[in-house]
Amino acid sequence: MYAGFAQHHDDVFSDSRQPTSSASVGLPLRQAFRQPVGEVKIHDISDKFRRACNALQVGQLIKDESFTLFESIGALEIMDPKMDSGFLLPDETLEDAYDTLTPLLPEEVIGIMDQLLCYEMAWHTGYPLSQTLFTSVYIDKLLWPDPKTVEEAQFYRGHLPEGKRPDALLEVLRAYCLALVKCCDFVIAKIVGRDYFEEEDFCTHTYNRVLLARVPLDVFLRELDAAADMMEDTELEIDCALRDAIISRLSFRRDFLRALDLDCPLEHLSTSWPPILKTLTSISVTQQLGKIVPGSFSTKIQRRLASTVPPRPIVELEFKDAFEKLKQLCIDSEEATRFTTLEPDPLEYQSFLFAYASRSPTPLPYSRSYLATLLFHPQILNATASLPLTDVRTLVFPSSTVLDPKNWAYSPPRNPLAPKPHRLQLALLIDEFIERVGQPYLDFWTALGQNTCRLRRMMTHVITAWDQLQRDAASVDADLMQVITALGVRNEVMESPLEVWVYHKKLWMVEKCILLGFEQDIYLPDEYTGMYHFLSLIVRKRRVVLGSVLAHFSMRATQLDDAKEHNEAPGVTDGALYIASLMKEAEGVQELSAALSSFYSVLLYLNALPTPPRPISTEELRYELRMKPFLALEPPEVPDFLSFQNTIKPYGPYDDPGPELLAQLKHDQSPLWTNIESGVKRAREAFAEVKNMGARNAKTEGVSEAWTKDIKGVLASCVALGVAAAGVRVAIAKMEGEDVKNLGIKVVVPDMGKGTRYAEGWIVGKVVAK
Amino acid sequence: MSESNNAPLSTDVLEYVQYHGDKEETCLPAIRQLISKDLSEPYSIYVYRYFLYQWGDLCYMALDSSSTLIGVVVCKLEPHRSGTFRGYIAMLAVQEAHRGKGIATKLVCMAIDAMKEREADEIVLETEVTNTASLKLYERLGFLRSKRLHRYYLNGNTAFRLVLYLKPGTASKSPHDGMGRGYENAGYEQMSRIDGVMTDTKLSP
Repeated sequence: MYAGFAQHHDDVFSDSRQPTSSASVGLPLRQAFRQPVGEVKIHDISDKFRRACNALQVGQLIKDESFTLFESIGALEIMDPKMDSGFLLPDETLEDAYDTLTPLLPEEVIGIMDQLLCYEMAWHTGYPLSQTLFTSVYIDKLLWPDPKTVEEAQFYRGHLPEGKRPDALLEVLRAYCLALVKCCDFVIAKIVGRDYFEEEDFCTHTYNRVLLARVPLDVFLRELDAAADMMEDTELEIDCALRDAIISRLSFRRDFLRALDLDCPLEHLSTSWPPILKTLTSISVTQQLGKIVPGSFSTKIQRRLASTVPPRPIVELEFKDAFEKLKQLCIDSEEATRFTTLEPDPLEYQSFLFAYASRSPTPLPYSRSYLATLLFHPQILNATASLPLTDVRTLVFPSSTVLDPKNWAYSPPRNPLAPKPHRLQLALLIDEFIERVGQPYLDFWTALGQNTCRLRRMMTHVITAWDQLQRDAASVDADLMQVITALGVRNEVMESPLEVWVYHKKLWMVEKCILLGFEQDIYLPDEYTGMYHFLSLIVRKRRVVLGSVLAHFSMRATQLDDAKEHNEAPGVTDGALYIASLMKEAEGVQELSAALSSFYSVLLYLNALPTPPRPISTEELRYELRMKPFLALEPPEVPDFLSFQNTIKPYGPYDDPGPELLAQLKHDQSPLWTNIESGVKRAREAFAEVKNMGARNAKTEGVSEAWTKDIKGVLASCVALGVAAAGVRVAIAKMEGEDVKNLGIKVVVPDMGKGTRYAEGWIVGKVVAK
Repeated sequence: MSESNNAPLSTDVLEYVQYHGDKEETCLPAIRQLISKDLSEPYSIYVYRYFLYQWGDLCYMALDSSSTLIGVVVCKLEPHRSGTFRGYIAMLAVQEAHRGKGIATKLVCMAIDAMKEREADEIVLETEVTNTASLKLYERLGFLRSKRLHRYYLNGNTAFRLVLYLKPGTASKSPHDGMGRGYENAGYEQMSRIDGVMTDTKLSP
């Protein structure tokens, strides 16, 4: 996480103003100098400064080691109106002349409220307060100078000029603004409570304004209620439609504030969002009643927020877009509350987190923090047995003595030199391992809560951590084997169970990383064949792992049957269904990725994919770059360059293929075609079977709707691939002569995130005439 | 390295020259103007000097017969905490009327050649995901997209990080100081600031 940008501006600036700044040289991050109040001494250094400058050549840069590019970018040039926010053009005034006590028309109050809502949502999407809400003259008046009490937070300060008391509508606007400020306070507190990236996800900077942090929720609710009462007062002469419009805005703000409340108990969460969604419609249909009030928002306020940041434009988000964002925020947050109703199963959690990260449009930072807060809520994390332990049990310890709860009931022998009971040793080994798993496990979940760009990159780091974990698991496995052999239950436990569990999860993450690369358009079309091939290699390994797990499950079931352990047997059979579902899914992924790889390889031979000339790079260097995140993994997952090349170029170089290519292309039943077609067929069958086995067996019950949609998308991708391959075949059949590079076809790659891909990670090009 | 653009070139009338510190007074105002043109917020003079004073020899300019600045590329080259000797293309701009003639490509190639000469392991840069002209330029040369950077620029736009390896073994280098920082942190070494740093937006492929 990196420090706030504006903060850095401050640091640089204070340093450059301080002749004594050399004191801080050498510190990687410099603290802003705070001048001790009351001891300000001013020295005129103009002459010294000019003399020193004269000794320099133009363009010469004097800098210490800690002056980085970052600082140079943060520097400003005084008197340049584009950089110096304090610079006034001729006749320009420093402050606005806007009077916040001027009575407003009801339609103007609506206009201001809705404009505030637009800026609030712009802030939610990642823009700083200085370019959004803090451009409101009303908000500025409320928050500066820092009010000691809510009563002080007025549209005026100190004594009111005679006869200037704010009228009812201004009081209503004030209540709305106060609640809005408190909403921001809650939002910031929620977001900073979890992992996020400042400025990338969200800007928490409040420019020394305190967002009424100490004032409790009920004060704001009372203000809003009082405002609603004022609006309903029959004495108030106002058009009915306008009155209702204002009241619905107040009631939205009330509901929203309550939903954002940090202390909202878990059991009330799910009921806090639906009421907001209900009031939203009435806001959207009355938006046209509002009237813009020129001057009620101003960039001039920025000058007082941060003098060391260049003046920046107000971020204009249209009402309809802001409204969509707001709706999305409420829907996503409501969806997140469903997390509390999930079965306490880490694999259900994992499915939920992944589905949430994959939602489209991608959830706003607030909603992601909201879900992360629930995930890491003590009531959830400590609700059941250790979550990683449950995960381990599900995959590798079906009805096993190793995890028998009795093991934890043994006490160590009184004599510390006496050997510990075997079962106690098992408990200690498992405890040691679960302790070791804790951090990598949380890192994995943390990564799942990031924006998808970060998710992909963070996942590569998490994979590295799990790679190390795998080695540690192997060593615990060795100890475990000794104990269970001594206990005489060796046949109850599969080979290297803990390592198998870690390896399986690690491979799953590698697959997700590759698929996210496709989703995010990281790979260029001529890389598809290689990357889908790599994916098929990884998932093939996972299938092998799952194969041994499944074999173990069926062996355990037989053992239990034979031993007439009828209580235990059903659990193992149920557990095997999950493994079988995983296995089928892995089969589908392998078949589809292999078929896609072959398909794109054929297209490269046919010169039907855009291929950049790349005069200053080599294929081998690009391979190294692509494989970088996975190069260090153990066991090695990245094939050597030459064997990789041979697989993705089965007929020799793409621009100079061997004669075999033509023969295969023209032969209806050649492996070139049958491999793709039978692969597509097997992938379809596998995914269809996963679908039939259902969400419960896939441990995606909590997100069954999204899961079903995903499977349908992948199935549709299979069909699309079949169609595309057939399209190429037709073009080949029509070909006269032998010039396969001029078939008159090209492949259109569907854009990401436009809904033109059946599944974002499964890119199936469309074959069209050139 | 040859000019890879096959379009008929009128670059023969242009002169490609390396920047030098004693050209600051004549060149820097023109460079600033050319680069600021497409930026919503200008860079301070320190940003230019940061690069030009330390890596002026990695800055190349295209000048027409009357010595008017037509295009410029600004770079740096230094050890990166990943352990590589990393070249970074910070700014690239060509006057609008001269785009589509391969001038930017030529400038970038000259800079890369110079960095290669000085034993760079890799070259990196960022560009907006929507800047297809810029993506095309670099991807034609051999750059690959290595990362997608969410809301990388101040205007909220997302970027791709593009990377070109120059030497084998670059991926396996490790930090000399032995302290990997774990998760990357953006912001210190790149110019995550302003929209469209790679400004050759109208460059046709």
